Amino acid sequence: MGHLTGKAFCQEHVLEVAKNIALAVHKAPQITGKTEIEVEIIWGEDLEPIIEVMGPIAQVMQYVRWDYETLKNTYERGENPVVVAIGAKTTRSNLAWDCGACGFGTCREFNAYAKETRGGGQLGGPCCNWKTLDFSMACDWACASAWQYRIDNRIMGSVGFGLTALGFLPDMDVKLGLALGPPRDLVYYSREEMHKTMSYEEEKQAMINSIPTNFAAFVGGGTPMYKTKDDWWAPPKFMGMAYSPEVMEVMQQVLFEQVPEIVVKYADKIEARYKDRK
Amino acid sequence: MKKYEEDLNFRGEEYVCEWTPWSPQDIRRKKGVLESARMMLNSALTAPLAGGVPSTEAHIVYGQEELETIARKIEEIAHRKKAWKEPFLYEAVMIRDSDVVLFIGNTRCHETPLDAGCGLCGGGLDCSYFYERKTHRYGLVDTTDRRKENQIDGPLCTARVSDLGYAVGSALWTAHTLMVDARPFASLGMAGMELGYCRNSGMVVGVPVAAKAKNPYVDVNVDYHLINMDKVLDNTRKIYQTARIIRGFDYRKWIPKPAKTEEEGE
Repeated sequence: MGHLTGKAFCQEHVLEVAKNIALAVHKAPQITGKTEIEVEIIWGEDLEPIIEVMGPIAQVMQYVRWDYETLKNTYERGENPVVVAIGAKTTRSNLAWDCGACGFGTCREFNAYAKETRGGGQLGGPCCNWKTLDFSMACDWACASAWQYRIDNRIMGSVGFGLTALGFLPDMDVKLGLALGPPRDLVYYSREEMHKTMSYEEEKQAMINSIPTNFAAFVGGGTPMYKTKDDWWAPPKFMGMAYSPEVMEVMQQVLFEQVPEIVVKYADKIEARYKDRK
Repeated sequence: MKKYEEDLNFRGEEYVCEWTPWSPQDIRRKKGVLESARMMLNSALTAPLAGGVPSTEAHIVYGQEELETIARKIEEIAHRKKAWKEPFLYEAVMIRDSDVVLFIGNTRCHETPLDAGCGLCGGGLDCSYFYERKTHRYGLVDTTDRRKENQIDGPLCTARVSDLGYAVGSALWTAHTLMVDARPFASLGMAGMELGYCRNSGMVVGVPVAAKAKNPYVDVNVDYHLINMDKVLDNTRKIYQTARIIRGFDYRKWIPKPAKTEEEGE
C-alpha cells in the first residue's frame, strides 16, 4: 500500500525509464550486425560537467545555446533531467564491402585514412556510412522508446560533443546524448526556457546573419546591398565574403582554452570510472 | 444516394490464410502488410532529422513479378564482392519470402550536405572532405555526371546518412509495434537504387516486411539460397511425382492391403 503525491516520484522515475530506453538501444536492428554500441546513463551531479562544458560552445553556436540553457535551467531547478549517452565504433570498417560510400574505393584505404586523420569537426569521424546507419538506428530507437513512454526528449549533438570532450564512453568514436525529462509537455521543443532572452532586433539580425537569404539583399553588380535596414538613410551595408580573424579567434579561444579548462577539472574523475573495464 | 446505400450495407467477411501463396486469402493478408508498410513510412517521415530538413524519399513495392526482379538484382550484386556473396544470396531468398518491400532513401547525402562542419565524414570545419571529392561549383554538387566507379558514389554527407538511419530506425520501430517482421538490408537498398527506386537518393536502405507464421529474416540454415522453403516444396513436387510414376495399379480393381495378423485371420 502507498500513496504517492507531488511530482518528485515522477522525476525520479525518469531514471528508470532511461534504463528501459537503454535496452531499446541495444535491441535496435542493425544492417551490418557488426557495429559496437554502448549506452550510459548520466544524471544529477554527474550531469554538471556536461552542462558546464556546453557553456562556452553555447556562446558561439546558437543550437548549442538552446540545448545548454534548457538542460542547465531544468537541472538547477531540481527537475532532474537525465541524459542517455549513446556511442558507437564507426571509424573503422571490418566489413570488406568496398562499397565506396565513404569516398574510398576500398575499406582498406578508408581504414588507412581514418587511422591518420580525425574529423576536424565537433562529432568525430571519419565514419563508415553503414556503421553510421547502425548507430543512427540505435539513437532513433532511443528516441522512439522515449516517446512511447511519453517523456519529452531530444537527441543532441551538443551533448555528444560534451561526452567526447570529457571522455565519457572512451571506447566509442561517435556519440550523441538523449536528453530526457523533466516530465511535462514541450521541454525541448518550442523552448519555453528561451522566452524573453532575445529581443526582436537581435532575433531578426541573427536570422539575417545565420541565413544569407536572397531576399535580404538587392541584386547587385557583384556587391549585393542589404535592403532590410530600418535606418534607410544611413550608409548602406553590403554582403560579401571575407576571412574573419575575430570569429576564428573566438572559436580558438572556446575550443582550445575555455573547453580544456573545464575538461581538466573533471577528466581524471571520469577516466577513473573506466579503469576496470575490459 | 447510391453511395449512401452502399455505406449502409457495411457487412462482409474476409478469409485470410497464408496458405497457399498468392491465393486470394494470401493476397488479403498481404494487403494488411501493405497498410503496415504505409504506416512504417509515416514513421520514417517523422523521425528526427539534423536541422529538421526534409530529406527522405521512399518507395513501397509489392507483387510477385516486382519482388522477383528485385531478388534477381540482389543475386547479381552479390557476386561483386566476396564479403557480399553469401549474405546477399540469402537475403535475395528473404525478399522472395516477403510481402512488401520498403525502400527509404536520403535525397541530400550526395548533393546537399548538412554544411555544419561536424566532421563525421572525415572532413574539416568547412566540409572540405566532401566537397574536395565532388564536382561542384557555387557550392552546388554536380550530380548530372551519372557515371560511378563504386557501388555507392561517395563520399556522402555522413550527417545526412545519420538522418537516413533515423528514418529507417523509426520505420523499424513501427514494424515492431505493429508486430510485422521487418529487417534493414544494405543489399536490398543497393538493388533498389540500381532498379531506379528512390532515384534522387545517394544512399538507400531496403526494408522487407512480412506477416507470416515464420519470420523470414531470422533462423536461416546454411546455404539458404539452395535450401529454403521454395526449393523444399519444389523438391517435394519433383520427388513425389517420380515416386508415383515408378509404381502403380488399377485402384478400381485392386489395392494392396496390409497382411492380416493371426487374430484377424480366419
